[in-house]
Amino acid sequence: MSNHVIEESTSSATKELEQKQEKEKEEEEDEDEDDELQKLLLPDVCNLPSTPPSAVESNFAIYFALDFMKPGHDQYVYRHANGLCVIGLAPSHVSFKDEGGITAIDFNVGKSDRSGVKVTGKRKKNAQHFESNTALCKVSTKNDSYIVRCCVKGSLLEVNQQLIKQPELLNASAEREGYIAIIMPKPADWLKIKASLVNIEEYKKLREVS
Amino acid sequence: MEQEEEKVSNAFIPSSLSSSDLEQVLHSLPSNALNHLFSLGVCVRCVLRLFGIKGPICASVDNGSENPLDSTTSNEAKLCNICLGILQFRFYDEREKRVLQKDTAYDVALLIADMVKQERYQFDTFSLEVSIPPLILQNETSVWSYMQKKYGSEPWFQEKLHTGCISIKDALKFSLINPLENLLGCKSSLCPFRIRLTYTHTKASEGVAKCSENDGSCKRRKTGMSLLFPSNSFSTPSESNLIGERPLSSSVEIESFDSSKLFLKSASEPCHFSYNCSRTPFYFGGRYLKYSRNVSQTRWIIDDERMGEASVEEIIGTKVLQACRGDNYKFHAAGREDIDVRMLGPGRPFILEVQNTRLVPTEQFVNNIEKMINEVENKLVRVKNLKLVGSDGWNLMREGEAEKQKQYAALVWTSRPLKDEDFQQVSSLKDLKVVQRTPIRVLHRRSPLEREKIIHWMKMETVAGSSQYFLLHLCTQAGTYIKEFVHGDLGRTHPSIGSILGCTAEILQLDVTDIKMECFLT
Repeated sequence: MSNHVIEESTSSATKELEQKQEKEKEEEEDEDEDDELQKLLLPDVCNLPSTPPSAVESNFAIYFALDFMKPGHDQYVYRHANGLCVIGLAPSHVSFKDEGGITAIDFNVGKSDRSGVKVTGKRKKNAQHFESNTALCKVSTKNDSYIVRCCVKGSLLEVNQQLIKQPELLNASAEREGYIAIIMPKPADWLKIKASLVNIEEYKKLREVS
Repeated sequence: MEQEEEKVSNAFIPSSLSSSDLEQVLHSLPSNALNHLFSLGVCVRCVLRLFGIKGPICASVDNGSENPLDSTTSNEAKLCNICLGILQFRFYDEREKRVLQKDTAYDVALLIADMVKQERYQFDTFSLEVSIPPLILQNETSVWSYMQKKYGSEPWFQEKLHTGCISIKDALKFSLINPLENLLGCKSSLCPFRIRLTYTHTKASEGVAKCSENDGSCKRRKTGMSLLFPSNSFSTPSESNLIGERPLSSSVEIESFDSSKLFLKSASEPCHFSYNCSRTPFYFGGRYLKYSRNVSQTRWIIDDERMGEASVEEIIGTKVLQACRGDNYKFHAAGREDIDVRMLGPGRPFILEVQNTRLVPTEQFVNNIEKMINEVENKLVRVKNLKLVGSDGWNLMREGEAEKQKQYAALVWTSRPLKDEDFQQVSSLKDLKVVQRTPIRVLHRRSPLEREKIIHWMKMETVAGSSQYFLLHLCTQAGTYIKEFVHGDLGRTHPSIGSILGCTAEILQLDVTDIKMECFLT
């Protein structure tokens, strides 16, 4: 009788041990998987550039429209692979030469307030169709104001509403958060205008920027 | 329903049918109605059907001894006006492209069995499905109502004709099931492997189409339609004109009886008969990992050029399709990642639907397929936990797909070196609300909207040897655009890592490290 009891307790002890070993094994396997994952995730520093290309440089083809309709009115056109174009002020735009830089922006130019349009849906209903010389907005400095134009013929998808409250974005980062508008041109219209734009190397040469 | 039919038919199947047996059955039927039906051009099997007599139709007869029904059928020169030859085993065979007259049900079963064997399907049971042209049902309804009008008052009507006639489909199935079971070596049952017999009739479809053009009212007849003419329904002069009119195909005019007339569209050609077999789709569920930054999830082709070097769906789909010898596959995954984003960790759940497999995959078979996919040389994709799933697999995958959290690891560069305070600030943000305008890279095909998403937690890990590169681990709500959260998308995602740290941030690499869903984890 007592032998029987001893046997039982031994077998339950072995069961416990087995379970513990299995759990340890599972944990080890999990750790191994995590280690593998870590190895995959961590980069090799020597392969990393000291300054990587910016999101704009990686995702867009960068073009410039120089002296657009008026001398000194330099604008950029970032074209995405999907055809959309982001329009903004190039660093060499004449407005930046004024003291104090840009103080205000007004989208109410031409026949409508460009900031008021609501474009909806995948088909971009209600988007206004503009020519390349249509006025997008007016930027004002202390003493002057300048008209910014579309540069690209197409549908106006959005304007940068942030600029209304924070026009200083244009002074601080016109090339990024200070973008002005997004336009969707038809493929044929893009090809027509592309011919009159310059790429970044040409821009640097022509404007003597480093 | 299936079981009941089996029981009843079993009760009635005689092991053999002699000519005298058949004669007895026919003698037991009221002779006036019987002869009337024969004179209407109805075949003997249809007559037996109308009287609800199953036995002789499904009599299984040993090879060698004749079924007297068969000899009666082959003596019937004319095509039956109700079944248009179906129960006379006369049809235009779509495979041989000619009219065939088979002597027995067994011969028809032989054609079907040969087709099944040709495709080398693996199966242990089959389900027989029959489809017949609607014209036949119309003809049958016409005859039935006509008989009811004419013989309804007879004393035997209630007992004999009212037991309910056997449908043509059932009669055909009764005669074919046993020979097919013998030839294919297994029983029939409701199952995914289906043998489909399709009878069509060119004139029949014309007639039906015209019927539907008349907004459902089949009382307006055009030529080529069969009609039901109880005299009390219509008696306008234009209808009665039709009686004398000559329709396109010859019609049989029966002697008028109480001014009710019966038109049956008699056919000069038998039905077109096509037969094939197929299996309902199998569903394979599992999780996939993607180790390459040049492999898209699904086949991606722009202007005839493939984007990336391969796709997850093709890597998995073609292997599985080949292995079970299916016709084609459809790949469904719980969400997706960009072509340049790796899918690591436990993997992303997916279901692969494979249609019309010739083989039936077993558990071992499925394990082998998984091994095959994982042992491919270039190791672009890996599959885990591959197994057959039923319809519940869909629910598991779709359920809460929009709520499920995803975990990522992003390699981030900042324009200034980061300090401990920056690390702590980022770690301290829990359930951070982020408003994302539709990213520019998808704006061409998605609605311009502002979407609010939640970043549940973040953790920054240093990269040895650099003060401006970091591994950002984050757990976010499904549908969050991670790349845009890092670089800000020209300020259209707010806040972003850059705006939180007060500098410019760029993302170099992104990996998905966990999809927090319950399904396909084992």
